[in-house]
Amino acid sequence: MLPIDIRADKISEEMIEYTRKLGQGMQNLIDAGTIDTGVTPKDATYTEDKLVLYRYQRPADVAQQPVPLLVIYALVNRPYMADIQENRSTIKGLLETGQDVYLIDWGYPDQADCALTLDDYINGYIDRCVDYIRESHGLDKINILGICQGGVFSLMYSALHPDKVRNLVTMVTPVDFKTPDNLLSAWAQNIDVDLAVDTMGNIPGELLNFTFLSLKPFSLTGQKYVNMVDLLDDPGKVKNFLRMEKWIFDSPDQAGETFREFTKCFYLRNGFVTGTATVGDQTVDLKQISCPMLNIYALQDHLVPPDASKALNGMTSSKDYTELAFPGGHIGIYVSGKAQKEVTPAIGNWLNKRS
Amino acid sequence: MSNQNLFNDNWLKLQQEYWEGLTEMGRKVTGTALPQDNPWEAAMDQWWKAVSPAASDPAKTFMDHLLDQGKTYFSTVERFTRGMPGAAGPDGNVAAGGWDVLSKTFDQMQKAFSGGLGDQDPSINKMLGFWEMPLDNWQRMASSLTPMMPGDLLRNMPHTQVKENFDRMLSAPGLGYSREEQAQYQDLIRSGMEYQQAFQKYMGFFNQLGVKSVDRMRSLVQSRSETGKPIDSARNLYDSWVQCCEDVYAEEVSTPEYARIHGELINAQMALKQRLSVMVDQTLGAMNMPTRSELRTLQNRLQETRRENKHLRHELEAIKRRIANLPGGDTLPRSAPSAPAVKASAAPAAKAAATPAAKKTAARKKTPAKPASS
Repeated sequence: MLPIDIRADKISEEMIEYTRKLGQGMQNLIDAGTIDTGVTPKDATYTEDKLVLYRYQRPADVAQQPVPLLVIYALVNRPYMADIQENRSTIKGLLETGQDVYLIDWGYPDQADCALTLDDYINGYIDRCVDYIRESHGLDKINILGICQGGVFSLMYSALHPDKVRNLVTMVTPVDFKTPDNLLSAWAQNIDVDLAVDTMGNIPGELLNFTFLSLKPFSLTGQKYVNMVDLLDDPGKVKNFLRMEKWIFDSPDQAGETFREFTKCFYLRNGFVTGTATVGDQTVDLKQISCPMLNIYALQDHLVPPDASKALNGMTSSKDYTELAFPGGHIGIYVSGKAQKEVTPAIGNWLNKRS
Repeated sequence: MSNQNLFNDNWLKLQQEYWEGLTEMGRKVTGTALPQDNPWEAAMDQWWKAVSPAASDPAKTFMDHLLDQGKTYFSTVERFTRGMPGAAGPDGNVAAGGWDVLSKTFDQMQKAFSGGLGDQDPSINKMLGFWEMPLDNWQRMASSLTPMMPGDLLRNMPHTQVKENFDRMLSAPGLGYSREEQAQYQDLIRSGMEYQQAFQKYMGFFNQLGVKSVDRMRSLVQSRSETGKPIDSARNLYDSWVQCCEDVYAEEVSTPEYARIHGELINAQMALKQRLSVMVDQTLGAMNMPTRSELRTLQNRLQETRRENKHLRHELEAIKRRIANLPGGDTLPRSAPSAPAVKASAAPAAKAAATPAAKKTAARKKTPAKPASS
């Protein structure tokens, strides 16, 4: 039997269909208009340097939980991924479970920020945002949800300020940076991060884009656009695709000193696992975390492999530790329909029982 | 254009017939049997030339990229199915012996990836171009990092042949007043050559992967035949080829060898950029302009000062609170809470940061900011 059994007329049909969609889709592309970033209404409540602390407007018909939730996103991408479109918004899902959601938008660092360190971010910006929320609500402790690198920051913060954190949720957060399937970590071992930061100051977003695309270059720079043609005839899907496209390439520069410290502490020294993680002159001891914890990871995550997140189990003193495995990827955990049905309600329910 | 449907099926068929007829005429006149360019590619090009003037620049850029990927898709399908039974060949005849034809296709692809096939077959070139994507990504990124240094800098320089001469030249010591300047130029050239060497190693690594991906595709089609599940659509064929390339790539870039080559490339680029920065700084300094290294020093000092300032302010507030909690201590004046509250506004953070006076005023406020509607 021949392994390729495609009739000539079938090929012609597929090609005609492809080019027809391409032609029709061009009009939809032209009409797509401005691509918005974030759909849920929010208010800026606190600003410092380039940071803005947003509070999302709560739905009037949902009973509110008394303990607010601070979402700490990574530095390497923009946080509107968590609120990318109406029917795919983690933020909206959390609001619907009664959470009072705050989110830190780190902004776009420029060379004036290259001297910012991990200490400035964690004991500076994050601590002041937490204090602002605590004082606004008259509470000693708040809930924190950390996403990816934001989850690493959340862990460090919670270890250094356990008196301010009531419940901690981490999503796709790397804890063990040297699992065998961690490509980024393998590549980082041979890079002279001191030379890179001393040369460039901030690490450009373009370099990070290149690195992430290099994980799957054929799918992410080629096949994706062939597949895109299939949805070009639907203006709604075109807009959704363009939003995702904008987010993927909207990578802020990384403050140089923070990038240096983070890379050395975690990618080179594997700080949490080896107990050598530091912030400023303080050692980060995850055993200082005793609050309830929910650790969510994605089973097909090629950026943060599941084992990298699951390593958190047993590293803290929490007596109420729960894991949730999501059958999807690093991005799917926020934007897939399945995640909206499974992940955000699970977070909301878990928090509601403990707030 | 007022036409809502920019792409008409009848028009497309007409284009296809036109190009097929023209190509047929050309071959008859010249008496040659050159492989026919993919008529779909030609039709797409013709269509895009007709409609692209109506598109905005961002849309044009986007569509150019989609068209490029479309052409790669068509080329892949055309190449793999050329000469297969049921698929008409360039001369219109249906070829027999499908396995022989497929094997020949794979052999040609491997030869092309090994550098043994010239530009005789455009579809092979398109597939070679597919494997250039990772390199293309690097070149675009490198160009964006250093505008003075295009991403393919020194790519084709015959490094090995000239290395000995360059090494001799670069090791010659400078003398006199220009000693330092000469040393810097030597360092710059040395960095350039090291970058070029690292880039060539990187390219060499990828050249091997193309050959391996063809082997993987060969194995895949063999297994599809044995399990009785042939590839039965153009998209399935293209996706299978992408999957093979992606699988081979994932295996190879996980190796310590790739991590070393990748690290050397990035480090070499950074070293070259650093040498360029040093020379730029020297030129700026000579013109009495601020240099990057001076700014960096100032930034570090300023950030240190800000850090200390915030720390001291935090301690001061804590002390005041403790005093206020003492009996009779509530008569002392209070100042802002430890988290400097800024009146909420929908204005972007950049605007708030640009007005230091506003920040100082906000820090003196006693109550937390009220949320403003966005």
